[in-house]
Amino acid sequence: MLAYVIRRAVAGVIMLIVMSIVTFALFFASPIDQASFICGKNCSPAQKQQTAAAMGYDDSFINQWWDFAEGVVKGRDYPDDPKLRETAPETIVHCEAPCMGYSRERGDTVTNLIKDTFPVSFSLAVAAFILWIAGGVLLGVTAALKKGSIIDRGLVGLSLIAYAFPTFFVGLILYKFVAIKWGLADIPRYTSIADGGVGGWLSSLALPAITLAVFFMAGYVRMTRSYVIESFQEDYVRTARSKGLPERTVTFKHALRAALTPIVTMAGLDFAGLMGGAIITESVFNYPGMGKLAVRASQDFDLPTTVGLVILLAAFVIAANIIVDLLYAVIDPRVRLG
Amino acid sequence: MAFTKKPLAAIAATALAATLAACGGGSSDDDNGGGSSGGKAEKGGNAIFLVGVRNVEHWDPQRMYIGRDLNNSGRLFYRSLVALPASNDPEEGTTPIPDLATDTGTMEDAGKTWKFTVRDDVKWEDGQPITCEDFKYGASRNFATDVIIGGPANYLFTYLDIPTGDDELPAYKGPYSKKGQELFDKAVTCEGQTITYRFKKPWPDFPLSIAQLRYMDPYRADLDKGDANNFAIISNGPYKLDGTWKEGTGGKFVRNENWDESTDPIRKAYPDTWDFREGDTDEAIYEQLLADSGDAQYTVTERRLPPSLFGRKDEAGDRYTQVESPYVDYVLPNFNSPVFKDANCREALKLATDRAAWIKAGGGPEYFKIADSVVNPGVPGYKPNPAFADLPESGDPEAAKAALDKCAAPKPVKIKFTYSGGTPTSDKQASALKEGWDKAGFQTELDPLEDTYYSVIQKPDADFDVTWGGWGADWASIGTVIPPLFDSRINLTGDSNGNDYGNYKGGPEVNKMIDEAYAEPDLDAAAEKWAAVDAKLGEDVAYIPLEITIFNFLHGGKVTGYANNVSVNGYADLAVIGVEK
Amino acid sequence: MGSAAAPLLSVRELEVHFPTSDGLVKAVNGLTFDLEAGKTLGIVGESGSGKSVSSMAIMGLHRGTNAKISGEIVLDGVNLLDISAEEMRKKRGREVSMIFQDPLSAMHPYYTVGNQIAEAYRVHNDVSKKVAKQRAVEMLERVGIPNPDKRVNDYPHQFSGGMRQRAMIAMGLINDPNLLIADEPTTALDVTVQAQILDLLQDLQREFNSAVIIITHDLGVVAEMADDVLVMYAGRAVEHGPCKEILTHPEMPYTWGLLSSVPDLTGDTEARLIPIPGNPPSLLNPPPGCPFHPRCAHRDKVPGDLCRTELPLLVPGQRGETHTKRCHLPNPDAIYATEVLPEIAPDLAAGAAPTRAEEL
Repeated sequence: MLAYVIRRAVAGVIMLIVMSIVTFALFFASPIDQASFICGKNCSPAQKQQTAAAMGYDDSFINQWWDFAEGVVKGRDYPDDPKLRETAPETIVHCEAPCMGYSRERGDTVTNLIKDTFPVSFSLAVAAFILWIAGGVLLGVTAALKKGSIIDRGLVGLSLIAYAFPTFFVGLILYKFVAIKWGLADIPRYTSIADGGVGGWLSSLALPAITLAVFFMAGYVRMTRSYVIESFQEDYVRTARSKGLPERTVTFKHALRAALTPIVTMAGLDFAGLMGGAIITESVFNYPGMGKLAVRASQDFDLPTTVGLVILLAAFVIAANIIVDLLYAVIDPRVRLG
Repeated sequence: MAFTKKPLAAIAATALAATLAACGGGSSDDDNGGGSSGGKAEKGGNAIFLVGVRNVEHWDPQRMYIGRDLNNSGRLFYRSLVALPASNDPEEGTTPIPDLATDTGTMEDAGKTWKFTVRDDVKWEDGQPITCEDFKYGASRNFATDVIIGGPANYLFTYLDIPTGDDELPAYKGPYSKKGQELFDKAVTCEGQTITYRFKKPWPDFPLSIAQLRYMDPYRADLDKGDANNFAIISNGPYKLDGTWKEGTGGKFVRNENWDESTDPIRKAYPDTWDFREGDTDEAIYEQLLADSGDAQYTVTERRLPPSLFGRKDEAGDRYTQVESPYVDYVLPNFNSPVFKDANCREALKLATDRAAWIKAGGGPEYFKIADSVVNPGVPGYKPNPAFADLPESGDPEAAKAALDKCAAPKPVKIKFTYSGGTPTSDKQASALKEGWDKAGFQTELDPLEDTYYSVIQKPDADFDVTWGGWGADWASIGTVIPPLFDSRINLTGDSNGNDYGNYKGGPEVNKMIDEAYAEPDLDAAAEKWAAVDAKLGEDVAYIPLEITIFNFLHGGKVTGYANNVSVNGYADLAVIGVEK
Repeated sequence: MGSAAAPLLSVRELEVHFPTSDGLVKAVNGLTFDLEAGKTLGIVGESGSGKSVSSMAIMGLHRGTNAKISGEIVLDGVNLLDISAEEMRKKRGREVSMIFQDPLSAMHPYYTVGNQIAEAYRVHNDVSKKVAKQRAVEMLERVGIPNPDKRVNDYPHQFSGGMRQRAMIAMGLINDPNLLIADEPTTALDVTVQAQILDLLQDLQREFNSAVIIITHDLGVVAEMADDVLVMYAGRAVEHGPCKEILTHPEMPYTWGLLSSVPDLTGDTEARLIPIPGNPPSLLNPPPGCPFHPRCAHRDKVPGDLCRTELPLLVPGQRGETHTKRCHLPNPDAIYATEVLPEIAPDLAAGAAPTRAEEL
């Protein structure tokens, strides 16, 4: 088991390295001149060149990637200029290992940026996750058990509608009516537990979490429903019935247990993806999370932040994959890790 | 600069004093000038400024270059030697008055030397006195081009009496490397509290440039951390930052106890706090402002009322204000294209350009006003360009056809219009222009580009015949409009055309006119000379002006003394705005 | 056959129909048979012939679905179609239990074998988990699982196919039911294991004196196990009688077809394996007349157009009251002896020996 985790982790790290190279390559393949975006509007070609040099953008991408990789391992100084270290050491920012880079656009290390934004995305992901798992699975099971009834049709119809609405639309509707027009909720501004206590934190999360949860819940209702219905067709459910087990036992002990296993997988991966930031929801509600940061970084051609976020998100997904597989082994005795 | 319509661009709108007609709002019977509404402002309360989706890029005074941030910081926490009074009078609002200096400065040597004396009763937020050396240090930071990136330092490089090195940049490399420090120490000197700037050539409107940009603001050498100070604020104005600025979230400003109201004729500093919030979409901001509930009542913003909500503006009553922006949008024929190297073809293009259709496609007269020069009417010395002033708003297809007959290019004349596209509006507007041109006999191919737009059109050999640009002046002088856009000597450098996207070369005649206009120490006389350059550009059809964007704003119902002042380019003037408690 | 005592199971005119959006699927029609305690009935047919559906109906497993069931299923004097769902549930697994074709999919992958067997015991007996588990170990031992006290904690996937089926049998018999329905119990198993499982079933049947319904498409299994045989086609019984009788003197061409498609276990190389041509009929729109007629090679031997127009009745043929068949052929015995047997078992036909089935 430990060996398995180690092997998977090593494969994951290799994957991360490849992803970081690809991100760098894509960045440099883009026809956009990053330096001119930084340089300001009244920028002579000579200034632009200086800017590119100061940002390290004049070097080959593989060298830049190497500097980045070295920074992750050893830490890095920004700017890494030995002369400046003598004449003006106070202007040098030291970025400790594992240094994911330093964003000039945001004037901070990527590590700090992530430290600032991760709690926001994480809070949102947790709140939405609880809502959508509780709601989605419960309603999905209900629909499956009442298959063909009005309740089932209603739930399936509603979830189809909810699924069809884009997140930004749901978000804007909630924002516009619930928060602004009817004043039922505060206009959401992220409040940390430290600032607002658990109550403030929760109420600040309500609308964006609901927005996010609606979309996932719609998917999970339908997914759960079909898994449960499918599971009721299984031979072992027939066996359970033929033993004379009460329907409750058949449903909960035999049918649902198997149906929920694939949902655990999906939920784990969806949650990991969300920890990297819910781009649309965070943008609609102006939540300073990683999704919003990613949008801004890509708009500003902010390479260090983009790379840092890509790698972090990939790491989340890889870790979630490993955890889901471990969980699978716990749930399903047939699964052996190896 | 050209990036006014690109939210992605790091670059943008800048200071320009404009005759910003206040169309909405109340009387102008108080000191705050026109464009004001709400009750009279009093001390106290907590105000909010919604920055919106375009975040502050720099709070470092030497690196700021966005009009909104230049204005807001100058009104709340950064003071300069001279500044513009809070006024909507086109004359008063664009005339610098003393701020940290004792007077508006002394010009010597026909504008090649400027002297200012720093008041000795002004302090930084930590209680340290503001000294001449702080100003000198601030100026020196512009030269650290590898750290202090993004600001308007190029102006200083052009003027300040420091030789240029092999890398085409000044031989002085800024206070961090100190390379060439002696050169700077000769160009900028302190005697007591009097600072002297020495220039290579006359700079008569230098005070206006330091009143509207912040690159000559003082800076504390002992607190300078270079790039790490990008969002650090060392205040000398009425407010200081409470905690740190969080890029993407914003920050809160509280009163600076070391600011002495009696030394400051401009900043009223009514609210107790200013909360700057970043990241809200225009829709979110304006839904709140339209509802005018909760925090929104205390809110002002620089974001503009989005078209989707425009129909509801009447709900806001006198909280709605409308001002002309300091920008002009225009199209340019490419002088390197086989078609438009011929003046007759350019003339035909000009005559065929349907500005009215462009405006209609963009949203109509609530959003745009027709332009007849690349110079915004708000810039002192503006004159309608004779080449365009008499042009019918919908163009003159018959005259255009006649001109096109004389055009040397093979008929039918095929042209490619490369523009900054990707939005339904920009595509609609481009199609509107195409229709006019095609009516006169052109065959127009539309070529919308998105992120790559500027990278493409800045290439001198790029394959397009017509392109689009937008520009606002850096300070109230035509000298910050025409040369940056059309002086081939500073723009055309082999692999780039700078901001001269049409690859226009005025030649010796135009170069001489530009140099003379620059050298004219009398600002009124200089304005005349600039107008003459503009007329020449019109004759050559170096550009065809389209329109001036109109700003539509709302503000909260408990905002008092609201004013869209000419001294802050028509944006909300935070120097005089208050909120109810 | 023909005992004076009332049979253990008596099925009368059983009909199982499923309404679907395409129409009514008539899965089982007019099925009638009796089964005495300790006896074995083999139900034979292709997939879709209604044999599994009938057994599910006996188990009451169509309750809660939209199946329409009529007729009578009398077990020990109680009509199972009349009792409540809860009463039926209490009989399931105790009075009548069932083992299934694929023991891997029929056992829950997430629970141990012991857990699943003990569960079957506990639901009908008020005992502690420990007692139930002990009982499961006993049953595993009884069905021939080595080290049952250890294997009781294994998961189904840790068992071999044969062991899994043994465990299923243990589960089916743990409450000593009067009736055990075995639905294709050996189909998913290796040939060598098949025989062991059939032996085990026979042993246990004797020990527990249960009646057994064995559902199969394999006449070899029937020959080994059954006292009576019921051949089903398109939801109806088409031939019914004592095992030996049916195998030696089949009177229905469909039964002939089944016989000819049985691989010859003795390895007679001349024997031909002849599949029945065509596909089973749609139960939604069964063909008029005899449902087998589209596939029947002998329909021309019936005078008139009888096969196409009239459903034959299930009536005694030429060999006595206990052997019933549903066929219009006037002289099936002769046709079988002269046309069918030489094709499928030339040696038997040549020797005029009456049957190929004896060797099965």
